[in-house]
Amino acid sequence: MAALGTATADLAASLKSWRLWSLLGWIEIRQRYARSKLGPFWLTISMGVVIGTIAFVFGTLFHQDMATYLPMLSIGMVTWTLMSTIITEGCNAYINSAQYIRQVNTPRLIYLFQAMWRNFIIFLHNFVIVLIVLGIYGVKSWETVPLFVPGLLVLLLNAVWMAMVVGLFSARFRDLPQIVAAFMQTMYFVTPIMFAASALKKHEWIVTFNPFAYLIDLVREPLLGHWPTPFTWVVALGMTVVGWIFALALTGRYHRRIPYWL
Amino acid sequence: MTTTSITLEHVGLDLPIFDVSGQSLKKRVLRAGRRNRIAEDNAGVVIVRALDDISFSIEAGDRLGLIGANGAGKSTLLRVMAGIYPPTAGSVRTQGKTVPLLDISLGMDEHSTGRQNIRLRGLLLGMGDNEIRSKTEEIAAFTELNDYLDLPLRTYSTGMRVRLGFAISTAVDAEILLLDEVLGVGDARFQEKAKARLEGLHRRAEIVVIALHSNEAIRKACNKAIWLDRGKLMAMGSTAEVTAAYEAHVARG
Repeated sequence: MAALGTATADLAASLKSWRLWSLLGWIEIRQRYARSKLGPFWLTISMGVVIGTIAFVFGTLFHQDMATYLPMLSIGMVTWTLMSTIITEGCNAYINSAQYIRQVNTPRLIYLFQAMWRNFIIFLHNFVIVLIVLGIYGVKSWETVPLFVPGLLVLLLNAVWMAMVVGLFSARFRDLPQIVAAFMQTMYFVTPIMFAASALKKHEWIVTFNPFAYLIDLVREPLLGHWPTPFTWVVALGMTVVGWIFALALTGRYHRRIPYWL
Repeated sequence: MTTTSITLEHVGLDLPIFDVSGQSLKKRVLRAGRRNRIAEDNAGVVIVRALDDISFSIEAGDRLGLIGANGAGKSTLLRVMAGIYPPTAGSVRTQGKTVPLLDISLGMDEHSTGRQNIRLRGLLLGMGDNEIRSKTEEIAAFTELNDYLDLPLRTYSTGMRVRLGFAISTAVDAEILLLDEVLGVGDARFQEKAKARLEGLHRRAEIVVIALHSNEAIRKACNKAIWLDRGKLMAMGSTAEVTAAYEAHVARG
Protein backbone atom coordinates (compact mmCIF):
# COMPACT_ATOMS: atom_id res chain seq x y z
CA MET A 1 0.00 0.00 0.00
CA ALA A 2 2.80 2.39 0.90
CA ALA A 3 4.44 1.44 -2.38
CA LEU A 4 1.30 2.40 -4.31
CA GLY A 5 1.24 5.73 -2.48
CA THR A 6 4.82 6.53 -3.45
CA ALA A 7 4.15 5.59 -7.05
CA THR A 8 0.91 7.56 -7.40
CA ALA A 9 2.57 10.62 -5.86
CA ASP A 10 5.33 10.28 -8.44
CA LEU A 11 2.75 9.76 -11.18
CA ALA A 12 0.86 12.92 -10.20
CA ALA A 13 4.06 14.97 -10.06
CA SER A 14 5.18 13.52 -13.39
CA LEU A 15 1.92 14.41 -15.10
CA LYS A 16 2.19 17.90 -13.67
CA SER A 17 5.61 18.38 -15.26
CA TRP A 18 4.31 17.52 -18.73
CA ARG A 19 6.15 20.52 -20.09
CA LEU A 20 9.46 18.99 -19.13
CA TRP A 21 8.94 15.51 -20.58
CA SER A 22 7.28 16.72 -23.73
CA LEU A 23 10.22 19.08 -24.29
CA LEU A 24 12.78 16.35 -23.54
CA GLY A 25 10.97 14.05 -25.97
CA TRP A 26 11.02 16.70 -28.68
CA ILE A 27 14.65 17.45 -28.12
CA GLU A 28 15.56 13.81 -28.66
CA ILE A 29 13.77 13.82 -31.99
CA ARG A 30 15.49 17.06 -32.93
CA GLN A 31 18.88 15.58 -31.97
CA ARG A 32 18.30 12.45 -34.02
CA TYR A 33 17.33 14.36 -37.12
CA ALA A 34 19.38 17.50 -36.64
CA ARG A 35 20.04 19.22 -39.94
CA SER A 36 18.33 16.56 -41.99
CA LYS A 37 15.81 18.18 -44.31
CA LEU A 38 13.04 15.61 -43.97
CA GLY A 39 13.66 14.88 -40.29
CA PRO A 40 11.40 12.19 -38.81
CA PHE A 41 9.69 11.83 -42.18
CA TRP A 42 12.63 9.61 -43.07
CA LEU A 43 11.03 7.09 -40.75
CA THR A 44 7.75 7.53 -42.57
CA ILE A 45 9.45 6.89 -45.87
CA SER A 46 11.27 3.78 -44.67
CA MET A 47 8.11 2.47 -43.03
CA GLY A 48 6.23 3.17 -46.26
CA VAL A 49 8.81 1.17 -48.21
CA VAL A 50 8.60 -1.75 -45.77
CA ILE A 51 4.81 -1.77 -45.91
CA GLY A 52 4.87 -1.61 -49.70
CA THR A 53 7.33 -4.51 -49.88
CA ILE A 54 5.41 -6.70 -47.46
CA ALA A 55 2.18 -5.91 -49.25
CA PHE A 56 3.74 -6.95 -52.54
CA VAL A 57 5.37 -10.17 -51.32
CA PHE A 58 2.86 -11.43 -48.76
CA GLY A 59 -0.12 -10.05 -50.59
CA THR A 60 0.91 -12.21 -53.53
CA LEU A 61 1.80 -15.22 -51.37
CA PHE A 62 -1.52 -15.17 -49.52
CA HIS A 63 -3.50 -14.18 -52.64
CA GLN A 64 -4.79 -11.12 -50.87
CA ASP A 65 -7.07 -8.45 -52.24
CA MET A 66 -5.04 -5.22 -51.91
CA ALA A 67 -8.12 -3.14 -51.07
CA THR A 68 -8.50 -5.07 -47.80
CA TYR A 69 -4.92 -6.21 -47.22
CA LEU A 70 -3.08 -2.91 -47.55
CA PRO A 71 -5.24 -0.92 -45.08
CA MET A 72 -5.05 -3.78 -42.58
CA LEU A 73 -1.29 -4.10 -42.98
CA SER A 74 -0.45 -0.39 -42.83
CA ILE A 75 -2.60 0.40 -39.80
CA GLY A 76 -1.29 -2.70 -38.06
CA MET A 77 2.36 -1.90 -38.78
CA VAL A 78 2.15 1.74 -37.75
CA THR A 79 0.29 0.88 -34.53
CA TRP A 80 2.57 -2.03 -33.70
CA THR A 81 5.66 0.16 -34.17
CA LEU A 82 4.23 2.69 -31.72
CA MET A 83 3.54 0.06 -29.07
CA SER A 84 6.68 -2.02 -29.47
CA THR A 85 9.10 0.92 -29.54
CA ILE A 86 7.54 2.43 -26.41
CA ILE A 87 8.18 -0.89 -24.69
CA THR A 88 11.68 -1.56 -26.05
CA GLU A 89 12.82 2.04 -25.57
CA GLY A 90 11.13 2.07 -22.17
CA CYS A 91 13.84 -0.40 -21.15
CA ASN A 92 16.38 2.38 -21.49
CA ALA A 93 14.22 5.17 -20.08
CA TYR A 94 15.93 5.21 -16.68
CA ILE A 95 19.33 4.02 -17.91
CA ASN A 96 19.70 6.80 -20.47
CA SER A 97 18.53 9.44 -18.02
CA ALA A 98 20.98 8.36 -15.30
CA GLN A 99 22.73 11.70 -15.52
CA TYR A 100 19.49 13.55 -14.78
CA ILE A 101 18.30 11.19 -12.09
CA ARG A 102 21.58 11.56 -10.19
CA GLN A 103 21.69 15.35 -10.42
CA VAL A 104 18.16 16.68 -10.01
CA ASN A 105 15.28 15.48 -7.95
CA THR A 106 12.58 15.32 -10.62
CA PRO A 107 9.75 12.80 -10.49
CA ARG A 108 10.99 9.56 -12.00
CA LEU A 109 8.13 8.57 -14.30
CA ILE A 110 8.77 11.62 -16.49
CA TYR A 111 11.52 9.62 -18.20
CA LEU A 112 9.00 7.00 -19.30
CA PHE A 113 6.52 9.62 -20.44
CA GLN A 114 9.39 11.15 -22.39
CA ALA A 115 9.88 7.85 -24.27
CA MET A 116 6.13 7.58 -24.79
CA TRP A 117 5.88 11.12 -26.13
CA ARG A 118 8.85 10.74 -28.47
CA ASN A 119 7.33 7.64 -30.02
CA PHE A 120 3.89 9.20 -30.19
CA ILE A 121 5.31 12.05 -32.26
CA ILE A 122 6.97 9.52 -34.56
CA PHE A 123 3.63 7.70 -34.76
CA LEU A 124 1.95 10.89 -35.93
CA HIS A 125 4.51 11.12 -38.73
CA ASN A 126 3.99 7.47 -39.67
CA PHE A 127 0.24 7.95 -39.58
CA VAL A 128 0.56 9.83 -42.86
CA ILE A 129 0.90 6.39 -44.50
CA VAL A 130 -2.43 5.30 -43.04
CA LEU A 131 -4.07 8.47 -44.29
CA ILE A 132 -2.68 7.90 -47.78
CA VAL A 133 -3.77 4.25 -47.88
CA LEU A 134 -7.25 5.09 -46.60
CA GLY A 135 -7.36 7.95 -49.07
CA ILE A 136 -6.71 5.53 -51.92
CA TYR A 137 -8.99 2.68 -50.84
CA GLY A 138 -11.60 4.77 -49.06
CA VAL A 139 -13.01 4.56 -45.53
CA LYS A 140 -15.54 1.71 -45.25
CA SER A 141 -17.64 3.27 -42.53
CA TRP A 142 -17.22 6.69 -40.94
CA GLU A 143 -19.39 5.62 -38.02
CA THR A 144 -16.72 3.47 -36.43
CA VAL A 145 -13.78 5.81 -37.05
CA PRO A 146 -14.10 8.00 -33.91
CA LEU A 147 -13.76 4.87 -31.79
CA PHE A 148 -10.13 4.69 -32.88
CA VAL A 149 -9.27 7.52 -30.47
CA PRO A 150 -10.22 5.73 -27.22
CA GLY A 151 -8.66 2.60 -28.72
CA LEU A 152 -5.37 4.40 -29.24
CA LEU A 153 -5.55 5.80 -25.71
CA VAL A 154 -6.00 2.33 -24.22
CA LEU A 155 -3.11 1.03 -26.31
CA LEU A 156 -0.87 3.86 -25.10
CA LEU A 157 -1.86 3.27 -21.48
CA ASN A 158 -0.92 -0.38 -21.83
CA ALA A 159 2.35 0.34 -23.57
CA VAL A 160 3.28 2.75 -20.79
CA TRP A 161 2.68 0.33 -17.94
CA MET A 162 4.65 -2.34 -19.76
CA ALA A 163 7.46 0.16 -20.30
CA MET A 164 7.33 1.03 -16.59
CA VAL A 165 7.87 -2.60 -15.65
CA VAL A 166 10.66 -3.37 -18.12
CA GLY A 167 12.29 0.03 -17.55
CA LEU A 168 12.56 -0.64 -13.85
CA PHE A 169 14.01 -4.12 -14.18
CA SER A 170 16.34 -3.05 -17.00
CA ALA A 171 17.93 -0.49 -14.69
CA ARG A 172 18.91 -3.35 -12.39
CA PHE A 173 19.51 -6.14 -14.91
CA ARG A 174 21.20 -4.87 -18.02
CA ASP A 175 20.46 -8.01 -20.06
CA LEU A 176 16.77 -7.29 -20.05
CA PRO A 177 16.69 -4.77 -22.94
CA GLN A 178 18.09 -7.48 -25.23
CA ILE A 179 15.55 -10.03 -24.00
CA VAL A 180 12.68 -7.60 -24.43
CA ALA A 181 13.81 -6.66 -27.93
CA ALA A 182 13.97 -10.33 -28.94
CA PHE A 183 10.59 -10.99 -27.34
CA MET A 184 8.90 -8.09 -29.13
CA GLN A 185 10.42 -9.24 -32.41
CA THR A 186 8.84 -12.66 -31.90
CA MET A 187 5.51 -11.15 -30.93
CA TYR A 188 5.56 -9.15 -34.14
CA PHE A 189 5.38 -12.38 -36.12
CA VAL A 190 2.62 -13.99 -34.07
CA THR A 191 0.42 -10.91 -33.82
CA PRO A 192 -1.96 -10.49 -36.75
CA ILE A 193 -0.26 -7.63 -38.54
CA MET A 194 0.96 -9.20 -41.75
CA PHE A 195 -1.87 -11.73 -41.78
CA ALA A 196 -5.52 -11.83 -40.74
CA ALA A 197 -6.27 -13.73 -37.54
CA SER A 198 -8.79 -15.90 -39.37
CA ALA A 199 -6.03 -17.18 -41.69
CA LEU A 200 -4.53 -19.14 -38.79
CA LYS A 201 -7.47 -21.56 -38.85
CA LYS A 202 -6.92 -24.25 -36.21
CA HIS A 203 -4.07 -22.31 -34.60
CA GLU A 204 -6.17 -19.29 -33.77
CA TRP A 205 -5.22 -19.72 -30.11
CA ILE A 206 -1.98 -17.91 -31.00
CA VAL A 207 -4.10 -14.80 -31.34
CA THR A 208 -6.63 -15.58 -28.62
CA PHE A 209 -3.91 -15.69 -25.98
CA ASN A 210 -1.91 -12.79 -27.40
CA PRO A 211 -2.60 -9.63 -25.38
CA PHE A 212 -1.03 -7.44 -28.06
CA ALA A 213 -3.54 -8.67 -30.64
CA TYR A 214 -6.41 -7.14 -28.65
CA LEU A 215 -4.67 -3.77 -28.37
CA ILE A 216 -3.91 -3.65 -32.09
CA ASP A 217 -7.53 -4.58 -32.84
CA LEU A 218 -8.82 -1.67 -30.75
CA VAL A 219 -7.01 0.78 -33.02
CA ARG A 220 -7.26 -1.04 -36.32
CA GLU A 221 -10.84 -2.29 -36.40
CA PRO A 222 -12.54 1.14 -36.13
CA LEU A 223 -10.39 2.45 -38.98
CA LEU A 224 -11.32 -0.57 -41.11
CA GLY A 225 -15.01 0.03 -40.52
CA HIS A 226 -15.61 -2.67 -37.90
CA TRP A 227 -16.72 -2.41 -34.30
CA PRO A 228 -14.21 -4.03 -31.95
CA THR A 229 -16.04 -6.82 -30.09
CA PRO A 230 -17.09 -6.15 -26.48
CA PHE A 231 -14.77 -9.01 -25.51
CA THR A 232 -11.81 -7.12 -27.01
CA TRP A 233 -12.72 -4.09 -24.93
CA VAL A 234 -13.08 -6.16 -21.77
CA VAL A 235 -9.68 -7.81 -22.24
CA ALA A 236 -7.94 -4.54 -23.10
CA LEU A 237 -9.49 -2.53 -20.27
CA GLY A 238 -8.88 -5.35 -17.81
CA MET A 239 -5.23 -5.40 -18.85
CA THR A 240 -5.04 -1.64 -18.41
CA VAL A 241 -6.37 -1.72 -14.85
CA VAL A 242 -4.46 -4.78 -13.65
CA GLY A 243 -1.29 -3.72 -15.47
CA TRP A 244 -1.27 -0.22 -14.05
CA ILE A 245 -1.82 -1.39 -10.50
CA PHE A 246 0.98 -3.93 -10.92
CA ALA A 247 3.35 -1.42 -12.54
CA LEU A 248 2.64 1.26 -9.93
CA ALA A 249 3.10 -1.16 -7.04
CA LEU A 250 6.40 -2.30 -8.52
CA THR A 251 7.60 1.23 -9.24
CA GLY A 252 6.68 2.30 -5.71
CA ARG A 253 8.41 -0.71 -4.21
CA TYR A 254 11.71 0.01 -5.99
CA HIS A 255 11.35 3.78 -6.35
CA ARG A 256 14.06 4.40 -3.76
CA ARG A 257 16.46 1.98 -5.40
CA ILE A 258 16.41 3.51 -8.89
CA PRO A 259 19.20 6.07 -8.34
CA TYR A 260 21.37 3.37 -6.77
CA TRP A 261 20.97 1.06 -9.74
CA LEU A 262 22.08 3.60 -12.30
CA MET B 1 3.60 28.32 8.84
CA THR B 2 6.65 26.12 8.94
CA THR B 3 10.09 27.55 8.73
CA THR B 4 12.75 26.36 6.37
CA SER B 5 14.92 23.65 7.87
CA ILE B 6 16.85 20.47 7.23
CA THR B 7 17.04 17.74 9.84
CA LEU B 8 19.10 14.57 9.48
CA GLU B 9 18.81 11.80 12.03
CA HIS B 10 21.32 8.95 12.07
CA VAL B 11 21.58 9.00 8.31
CA GLY B 12 23.50 6.14 6.77
CA LEU B 13 23.94 5.44 3.11
CA ASP B 14 25.26 2.25 1.53
CA LEU B 15 26.08 2.59 -2.14
CA PRO B 16 26.00 -0.69 -4.03
CA ILE B 17 28.67 -0.88 -6.70
CA PHE B 18 27.39 -3.17 -9.39
CA ASP B 19 30.22 -4.70 -11.29
CA VAL B 20 29.43 -6.05 -14.69
CA SER B 21 28.56 -9.48 -13.35
CA GLY B 22 26.35 -8.20 -10.54
CA GLN B 23 24.16 -6.37 -12.98
CA SER B 24 23.55 -9.20 -15.36
CA LEU B 25 20.52 -11.43 -15.15
CA LYS B 26 22.46 -14.19 -16.86
CA LYS B 27 25.04 -14.24 -14.06
CA ARG B 28 22.31 -14.33 -11.47
CA VAL B 29 20.60 -17.29 -13.11
CA LEU B 30 23.90 -19.11 -13.54
CA ARG B 31 24.76 -18.45 -9.92
CA ALA B 32 21.47 -19.98 -8.79
CA GLY B 33 22.60 -23.34 -10.14
CA ARG B 34 25.86 -23.32 -8.25
CA ARG B 35 26.31 -24.62 -4.73
CA ASN B 36 29.71 -23.13 -4.22
CA ARG B 37 29.55 -20.37 -1.60
CA ILE B 38 32.88 -18.83 -2.46
CA ALA B 39 31.83 -18.34 -6.04
CA GLU B 40 28.66 -16.73 -4.82
CA ASP B 41 30.57 -14.31 -2.67
CA ASN B 42 32.91 -13.48 -5.49
CA ALA B 43 30.04 -12.61 -7.75
CA GLY B 44 28.24 -10.57 -5.10
CA VAL B 45 27.66 -6.85 -5.04
CA VAL B 46 30.27 -4.65 -3.40
CA ILE B 47 28.84 -2.14 -0.98
CA VAL B 48 30.48 1.12 -0.03
CA ARG B 49 29.37 2.90 3.10
CA ALA B 50 29.24 6.45 1.81
CA LEU B 51 27.66 8.02 4.89
CA ASP B 52 27.68 6.67 8.41
CA ASP B 53 25.38 7.79 11.23
CA ILE B 54 25.13 11.48 10.43
CA SER B 55 22.83 13.67 12.49
CA PHE B 56 22.49 17.44 12.45
CA SER B 57 19.92 20.11 11.79
CA ILE B 58 20.08 23.54 10.26
CA GLU B 59 17.46 26.24 9.96
CA ALA B 60 16.62 29.44 8.14
CA GLY B 61 19.56 31.83 7.96
CA ASP B 62 22.21 29.14 8.13
CA ARG B 63 25.06 29.00 5.62
CA LEU B 64 26.58 25.58 5.96
CA GLY B 65 29.93 24.61 4.50
CA LEU B 66 30.95 20.98 3.99
CA ILE B 67 34.66 20.27 4.15
CA GLY B 68 36.72 17.12 3.89
CA ALA B 69 39.08 15.30 1.60
CA ASN B 70 38.04 13.91 -1.79
CA GLY B 71 35.65 11.03 -1.35
CA ALA B 72 34.71 12.08 2.18
CA GLY B 73 31.02 12.03 1.22
CA LYS B 74 30.37 15.74 0.64
CA SER B 75 28.60 15.33 -2.68
CA THR B 76 26.72 12.29 -1.45
CA LEU B 77 25.49 14.24 1.55
CA LEU B 78 24.27 17.01 -0.76
CA ARG B 79 22.40 14.43 -2.82
CA VAL B 80 20.80 13.00 0.28
CA MET B 81 19.64 16.48 1.31
CA ALA B 82 18.33 17.06 -2.21
CA GLY B 83 16.26 13.88 -2.03
CA ILE B 84 18.13 12.24 -4.91
CA TYR B 85 19.49 9.39 -2.81
CA PRO B 86 17.02 8.21 -0.21
CA PRO B 87 19.13 7.22 2.82
CA THR B 88 19.43 3.51 3.57
CA ALA B 89 19.32 4.20 7.33
CA GLY B 90 17.93 7.03 9.44
CA SER B 91 15.77 9.85 8.14
CA VAL B 92 16.01 13.19 6.37
CA ARG B 93 13.41 15.89 6.72
CA THR B 94 13.56 19.03 4.62
CA GLN B 95 11.15 21.91 4.88
CA GLY B 96 11.17 24.32 1.95
CA LYS B 97 11.79 24.31 -1.79
CA THR B 98 15.14 22.62 -2.34
CA VAL B 99 17.22 23.17 -5.46
CA PRO B 100 20.47 21.29 -6.02
CA LEU B 101 23.02 22.91 -8.32
CA LEU B 102 25.46 20.05 -8.59
CA ASP B 103 26.35 20.32 -12.25
CA ILE B 104 25.58 23.59 -13.98
CA SER B 105 25.89 22.15 -17.48
CA LEU B 106 23.30 19.42 -16.89
CA GLY B 107 20.59 19.12 -19.48
CA MET B 108 22.05 21.50 -22.01
CA ASP B 109 21.21 20.43 -25.53
CA GLU B 110 23.73 20.96 -28.32
CA HIS B 111 21.19 21.44 -31.08
CA SER B 112 18.92 23.84 -29.24
CA THR B 113 19.51 27.56 -29.22
CA GLY B 114 20.61 29.45 -26.14
CA ARG B 115 17.06 30.58 -25.48
CA GLN B 116 15.64 27.07 -25.85
CA ASN B 117 18.28 25.90 -23.41
CA ILE B 118 17.17 28.52 -20.93
CA ARG B 119 13.69 27.02 -21.00
CA LEU B 120 14.93 23.43 -20.77
CA ARG B 121 17.26 24.08 -17.88
CA GLY B 122 14.62 26.21 -16.17
CA LEU B 123 12.11 23.36 -16.33
CA LEU B 124 14.72 20.95 -14.98
CA LEU B 125 15.33 23.26 -12.05
CA GLY B 126 11.63 23.14 -11.31
CA MET B 127 10.63 26.58 -12.60
CA GLY B 128 7.20 27.14 -14.11
CA ASP B 129 6.62 28.50 -17.60
CA ASN B 130 5.65 31.95 -16.34
CA GLU B 131 8.71 32.14 -14.13
CA ILE B 132 10.95 31.17 -17.02
CA ARG B 133 9.35 33.73 -19.34
CA SER B 134 9.77 36.51 -16.81
CA LYS B 135 13.40 35.60 -16.17
CA THR B 136 14.58 34.91 -19.71
CA GLU B 137 15.44 38.52 -20.54
CA GLU B 138 17.34 39.02 -17.33
CA ILE B 139 19.29 35.78 -17.91
CA ALA B 140 19.97 36.74 -21.51
CA ALA B 141 21.26 40.14 -20.49
CA PHE B 142 23.54 38.66 -17.86
CA THR B 143 25.20 36.21 -20.26
CA GLU B 144 26.15 39.06 -22.64
CA LEU B 145 25.79 36.55 -25.45
CA ASN B 146 23.43 38.82 -27.41
CA ASP B 147 22.73 37.38 -30.86
CA TYR B 148 24.46 34.12 -30.01
CA LEU B 149 21.44 33.24 -27.89
CA ASP B 150 19.56 32.50 -31.09
CA LEU B 151 22.26 30.16 -32.37
CA PRO B 152 22.50 26.49 -31.41
CA LEU B 153 24.65 25.66 -28.43
CA ARG B 154 27.13 23.66 -30.51
CA THR B 155 28.46 26.92 -31.95
CA TYR B 156 29.41 28.18 -28.45
CA SER B 157 32.88 28.25 -26.99
CA THR B 158 33.46 26.56 -23.63
CA GLY B 159 33.44 29.91 -21.86
CA MET B 160 30.14 30.89 -23.44
CA ARG B 161 28.55 27.61 -22.36
CA VAL B 162 29.69 28.10 -18.81
CA ARG B 163 28.28 31.62 -18.77
CA LEU B 164 24.91 30.43 -20.03
CA GLY B 165 24.78 27.53 -17.59
CA PHE B 166 25.80 29.78 -14.74
CA ALA B 167 23.29 32.49 -15.61
CA ILE B 168 20.37 30.06 -15.77
CA SER B 169 21.31 28.13 -12.66
CA THR B 170 21.77 31.23 -10.56
CA ALA B 171 18.42 32.67 -11.63
CA VAL B 172 16.64 30.05 -9.58
CA ASP B 173 14.69 30.99 -6.47
CA ALA B 174 15.21 28.39 -3.79
CA GLU B 175 14.53 28.32 -0.10
CA ILE B 176 17.23 25.70 0.29
CA LEU B 177 20.16 25.89 -2.09
CA LEU B 178 22.63 23.02 -2.39
CA LEU B 179 25.88 23.78 -4.20
CA ASP B 180 28.76 21.53 -5.12
CA GLU B 181 31.97 23.58 -5.27
CA VAL B 182 31.97 27.24 -6.09
CA LEU B 183 30.53 27.92 -9.48
CA GLY B 184 33.60 29.19 -11.29
CA VAL B 185 33.17 31.23 -14.44
CA GLY B 186 35.16 32.45 -17.38
CA ASP B 187 37.41 35.48 -17.66
CA ALA B 188 38.41 37.90 -14.94
CA ARG B 189 35.93 40.64 -15.80
CA PHE B 190 33.03 38.23 -15.90
CA GLN B 191 34.14 36.73 -12.60
CA GLU B 192 33.44 39.99 -10.76
CA LYS B 193 29.93 40.08 -12.16
CA ALA B 194 29.44 36.41 -11.33
CA LYS B 195 30.48 36.99 -7.73
CA ALA B 196 27.88 39.68 -7.26
CA ARG B 197 25.24 37.44 -8.79
CA LEU B 198 26.18 34.52 -6.54
CA GLU B 199 25.85 36.76 -3.51
CA GLY B 200 22.38 37.72 -4.68
CA LEU B 201 21.51 34.05 -5.06
CA HIS B 202 22.72 33.31 -1.55
CA ARG B 203 20.73 36.20 -0.14
CA ARG B 204 17.49 34.99 -1.75
CA ALA B 205 17.85 31.51 -0.26
CA GLU B 206 17.10 30.89 3.39
CA ILE B 207 19.52 28.01 3.71
CA VAL B 208 22.65 27.48 1.65
CA VAL B 209 24.79 24.36 1.82
CA ILE B 210 28.09 24.35 -0.08
CA ALA B 211 30.65 21.61 -0.50
CA LEU B 212 34.07 23.21 -0.72
CA HIS B 213 37.75 22.43 -0.80
CA SER B 214 39.03 25.84 0.14
CA ASN B 215 38.80 26.80 3.79
CA GLU B 216 39.20 30.40 2.77
CA ALA B 217 36.01 30.36 0.74
CA ILE B 218 34.13 28.61 3.54
CA ARG B 219 35.14 31.21 6.11
CA LYS B 220 33.87 33.91 3.80
CA ALA B 221 30.57 32.35 2.80
CA CYS B 222 29.42 30.28 5.77
CA ASN B 223 28.53 30.66 9.40
CA LYS B 224 28.52 26.92 10.14
CA ALA B 225 30.62 24.07 8.90
CA ILE B 226 30.71 20.31 8.90
CA TRP B 227 33.86 18.25 8.55
CA LEU B 228 33.34 14.87 6.95
CA ASP B 229 35.89 12.11 6.82
CA ARG B 230 35.19 8.81 5.05
CA GLY B 231 31.46 9.23 5.48
CA LYS B 232 31.64 10.08 9.19
CA LEU B 233 30.84 13.41 10.78
CA MET B 234 34.07 14.52 12.50
CA ALA B 235 32.98 17.93 13.71
CA MET B 236 30.18 20.43 13.41
CA GLY B 237 30.04 23.95 14.70
CA SER B 238 31.02 27.49 13.85
CA THR B 239 33.12 27.88 10.72
CA ALA B 240 36.17 29.05 12.65
CA GLU B 241 36.23 26.05 15.01
CA VAL B 242 35.64 23.41 12.36
CA THR B 243 38.08 24.77 9.80
CA ALA B 244 40.72 25.11 12.53
CA ALA B 245 40.18 21.50 13.60
CA TYR B 246 40.31 20.35 9.97
CA GLU B 247 43.48 22.30 9.27
CA ALA B 248 45.13 20.88 12.37
CA HIS B 249 44.17 17.39 11.20
CA VAL B 250 45.55 17.99 7.73
CA ALA B 251 48.78 19.44 9.16
CA ARG B 252 49.24 16.35 11.32
CA GLY B 253 48.85 14.30 8.15
